[in-house]
Amino acid sequence: MLDQLGNGLLLGIIISVASVALSLLYGVTRIVNFAHGEVIALGAIVTLFFSAPVDSKVLFLDRFSPLGVSFSTSVIIAILFCGLFGALLELFLFRPLRKAEVGNIAVLVVTIGLSIFIRHFYLLFATGKVQDFPLGLERRQTYLFFDMTPRNFKVLIAGLVVMIIIGLFLTFTRMGKAMRAVRDSSELASVSGINSDNIILFTWISSSMLAGLAGIFQAIINDVRYNMGFLILLLIFAGTVLGGIGTSFGAMVGGLLIGIFVQVSVALPFMEGHTEAKNAVALAIMILILLFRPQGIFGEKERIS
Amino acid sequence: MKLSVKWIVTVVLTSFSIYMVFALNPEGQLRILFNVLTFAGIYGLAAIGLNVHFGLTGLLNFGHASFMGVGAYVTLLLIPHAAGREGQITETGLPFLLALVIGILSASLFGLLLGLPAIRLRGDYLAIVTIAAAEIFRLLVRDLESVTGGVYGIINFSDSLQKYRPNFIETFVSKYDLNAGQIWVGFLSWVSIFFVLLLLKRLNSSPWGRALRAVREDEDAVRALGKNAVWLKLQSFMLGAGIAGLAGVFLAFNYGSLQTTLFVPLLTFYVWAIMILGGVGSLSGPVFGSVIFWVIISETDRLAALIFENANGQQLAGVRFVLVGLLIMILMIFRPSGLLGKKEELLLNVK
Repeated sequence: MLDQLGNGLLLGIIISVASVALSLLYGVTRIVNFAHGEVIALGAIVTLFFSAPVDSKVLFLDRFSPLGVSFSTSVIIAILFCGLFGALLELFLFRPLRKAEVGNIAVLVVTIGLSIFIRHFYLLFATGKVQDFPLGLERRQTYLFFDMTPRNFKVLIAGLVVMIIIGLFLTFTRMGKAMRAVRDSSELASVSGINSDNIILFTWISSSMLAGLAGIFQAIINDVRYNMGFLILLLIFAGTVLGGIGTSFGAMVGGLLIGIFVQVSVALPFMEGHTEAKNAVALAIMILILLFRPQGIFGEKERIS
Repeated sequence: MKLSVKWIVTVVLTSFSIYMVFALNPEGQLRILFNVLTFAGIYGLAAIGLNVHFGLTGLLNFGHASFMGVGAYVTLLLIPHAAGREGQITETGLPFLLALVIGILSASLFGLLLGLPAIRLRGDYLAIVTIAAAEIFRLLVRDLESVTGGVYGIINFSDSLQKYRPNFIETFVSKYDLNAGQIWVGFLSWVSIFFVLLLLKRLNSSPWGRALRAVREDEDAVRALGKNAVWLKLQSFMLGAGIAGLAGVFLAFNYGSLQTTLFVPLLTFYVWAIMILGGVGSLSGPVFGSVIFWVIISETDRLAALIFENANGQQLAGVRFVLVGLLIMILMIFRPSGLLGKKEELLLNVK
């Protein structure tokens, strides 16, 4: 079970970062974003495109060859690229929809269409092959009582650091406070002189950058595939719901817990030989939470029916 | 049904799509047409079920694939079949019709089970719960290999339906060199559409149908009038789920084998695209939507061939789904009422 705890922490940190991103976006814009998974995959795919050796023709048809940039530079480029992508989504899709007062159900369906569109666009241009970052193999080591590779351990630490930075940012900076203000009541916020359009744009950018980072984590720990984001999207929803929808700190904890639940459930006696069904456990938890404690662990009571 | 511009446009577009099948394919036109029509019938039936949920009652159901799956799995497991890695054969089984009825009832019951707790949830939460429940269903079916055949699926079940195939299909098929089994499944799905639409038309103009639409418009008003809004929603959920179950059975017979991969969320999104295209809230809209949708889908292969030399299956699927995604987005933004829906009857916003 301890082996699984290490794996659970790793899965948890991916879901956690992605859940915070989703939760920020939902809190500020009230959009249930089904295309979140595709931004996650974007982070990984762009990183792979920049970092894979030039002569490797595994990626992007035969027309484009990878760029062979150093890995850390690729990661930074990919995160910035995801931010840009989020900004474009807001400016050219979601802001016009908001100005036209399109209903939230319609916007939800639009994000589903967007998700299908982008995901299969990846399938066309990044092939369906499962690919790895050009990082080489590492031997597992023991940290405290978890077994994991040094690289994955660094991912875990990096994830925790990112969480702390987000927390500090939301609590202490002017922008972070403004985001929370718009989340709590966009009308009150605009009365106090906060430009909610700018806040929403900034939220899309930061949420997309975080999602891209989650994707890079996921690709380091596992691999790159065109549908990698969609595969964990429901787990991210589960993490968000468990922590309390719209709460950033809740989403961090909720995401970590969901990751741990999923991996540890593999070690439970009745799950023996049923590892394929492990995601079902997390989804069942999410449904139960929505039914019995819809505000999650940290959320405040809100009308949900 | 008065003849309006909407109807003329719909009929013209549908006829045009069917014409395109003939215009674009130099040979085997009839074979392609009947393949398209069979899929259109099956998915149209599923979309009619979804329309009972979303169009008539305003329930945001994203787990439609699981209702189709329950119908298909229960029916197939009750008739003679072979399942699993070793292809374990079950020779005895119920007569097809009885199994079908049980399958449809099971899908309805699954709708009730899922609906009982979930139906009180607000729209977007219901969407998340239904899509999650559908994924749980799929994962469990894949996992319980000893019962459902797991990833290896179920095969050799077609005879139970095909042995009832009437003679006129055989004579028709032999004239045009078509696939008799598929024509029979397609025929049955269109007959089912006819009867389901007849039933829904009656229900829709009954007091029950009016109460259902009232739930969509203003649930509190319905409650104030002493109607049980939750029970009405549940009934709608069961009815739509049952129709989906029937469509699931036809889908399985059309493929001739049943795999869990069939019931991924994309199946639900296909049905959503068809419903939106045809018209949310319009009873017969999804039928037209389905025909147009499947002509587009079947002719995208040509488009893919333009973009890629020697396109492989993956690229074909990619082009297909890119189009489906675009279609959903564009319709929802510019014409959420689709071909035949009424804009004022759409539930697009929940507080």
